Amino acid sequence: MRLVLFDRQTESRINFDPVALCRPIWELRCGMTSLGEKLIAKIGASDVVGFVPDYMADVYREQSSWSINNSASLAGEDLLLVNARVKAESFDIEPTGPSQVAFDENGDCLFARIAREDLGKLITDSIDGLIDSAHEACPRYEEKVATWNYTWDLILNNPEQLTKDFTAAGQAGNDGHVEEPSAIRGSRSDVYIGKDASVHPMVVIDAEHGPVFIDEGAEIHPFTRIEGPCYIGKKSILLGAKCREGNSIGPVCRVGGEVEESIIQGYSNKYHDGFLGHAYVGEWVNLGALTTNSDLKNDYSDVSVMLDGKNPIDTGSRKVGSLIGDHTKTSIGTLFNTGSYVGAMALIAGTGKPLPKFIPSFAWFLEGVVTKGFGKRKLFETAKTAMGRRDHEWTSAQEAMWEEIFKITAEPRMDAIKKGRRALRAQRS
Amino acid sequence: MASVQDRVIEVTARVLQLDAGDIKPENNFSADLGAESVQSIELVAMFEEEFGIEMEEDAALAVTTVGSAAEFIEGICKEQGVEV
Repeated sequence: MRLVLFDRQTESRINFDPVALCRPIWELRCGMTSLGEKLIAKIGASDVVGFVPDYMADVYREQSSWSINNSASLAGEDLLLVNARVKAESFDIEPTGPSQVAFDENGDCLFARIAREDLGKLITDSIDGLIDSAHEACPRYEEKVATWNYTWDLILNNPEQLTKDFTAAGQAGNDGHVEEPSAIRGSRSDVYIGKDASVHPMVVIDAEHGPVFIDEGAEIHPFTRIEGPCYIGKKSILLGAKCREGNSIGPVCRVGGEVEESIIQGYSNKYHDGFLGHAYVGEWVNLGALTTNSDLKNDYSDVSVMLDGKNPIDTGSRKVGSLIGDHTKTSIGTLFNTGSYVGAMALIAGTGKPLPKFIPSFAWFLEGVVTKGFGKRKLFETAKTAMGRRDHEWTSAQEAMWEEIFKITAEPRMDAIKKGRRALRAQRS
Repeated sequence: MASVQDRVIEVTARVLQLDAGDIKPENNFSADLGAESVQSIELVAMFEEEFGIEMEEDAALAVTTVGSAAEFIEGICKEQGVEV
């Protein structure tokens, strides 16, 4: 059986922007691992291939050992096609068996189990062709298939998922180095410190309300308090952080200040003081000192988020912070409103007031308005520098992908730029 | 109707808070008029708003003097079919 993870450019894909603009949805994190890792573990697959939106295929090929967007992988085996949005935990479909397909109410394929003997009857020269032909030819699976529907689903489920993933990992104890005096509250069986991880003196690990997993090579500096459930990724550093419950911090991050129930994908810095709560932060983000997001409205009503810059979506939750895309940088003292959408590759200069709730990708937010700034070339140069600092290469494939993302995200950006010009003119009149 | 150059001078004066009468075509935005980097961005935005055009950032920010800005904008207006 071959597992085919797919993430097609459907209308609902915007629901995972800005963090999925540059990666397949299955790479998003919830708990200790990515959605893809959970699906693979649940299905027990060893032969895995992927289909992603065309514009990101070359970049993902550079990052993955799997065959990507290769239609040849759609032949010769029993196939289990699974949408990246499917929740692994409740996916109880037998990996092999008679052909069967499931679609959601919007017509998005959620999974397709295709027996090898049926492949001859189907179109196998593209993922879209295979799904469309299976839609016509194969019996329907009529039960509900649980899915992730928005980025904030991942944030809101993170604490619970962390606890489940810790149990699934089955690791506890200390394979690293803990300097005294440090304190562990709760059961030591709810704490794991990985190989080459270093916990400095004067650190409190509080596992009373949930487990704490500190992965290989992480460093926890003095005066950090980590409340479980929490995951600290490989080679990440906490700098005197108030790391409250429910955080997943990916690899190679630098995190200080107060962080609560947030997910940081990886390679991002929030070095200094400032509050980040119920947020999802992409890679290569730098949050300047005192950057703070609100995650709760003063009237305790549900938080709404604008994914397209126009239409607010009710999250159904009283707590949602910021969604911050890859490569975005904030100045000192930046204040994000509750439920803010901050696009990728944006450069933001704080104004001392909470900023607009929608800041488009590639925006130069200066003087309180969205401008064209110094353009995308300058942002690419900065991205190249930031990645080089962590021994990562800004490749030609990366540049081509971001050029495409610039086009995809043009409409809301141009609207915001025009609005900004009018505001500037009014200020100067 | 004011010439493109006059309108460029007018916008420049407004953004940089200068007297329009003191601005000459040969003036360099940065060296002579004291425009800082953020103000350069603001100038581009205000020229776009004044003339109803879209300028490519790299090309627009490469323009250094008031006179060359007027020429550059005239060219863009022609390209984008904007009457000036």
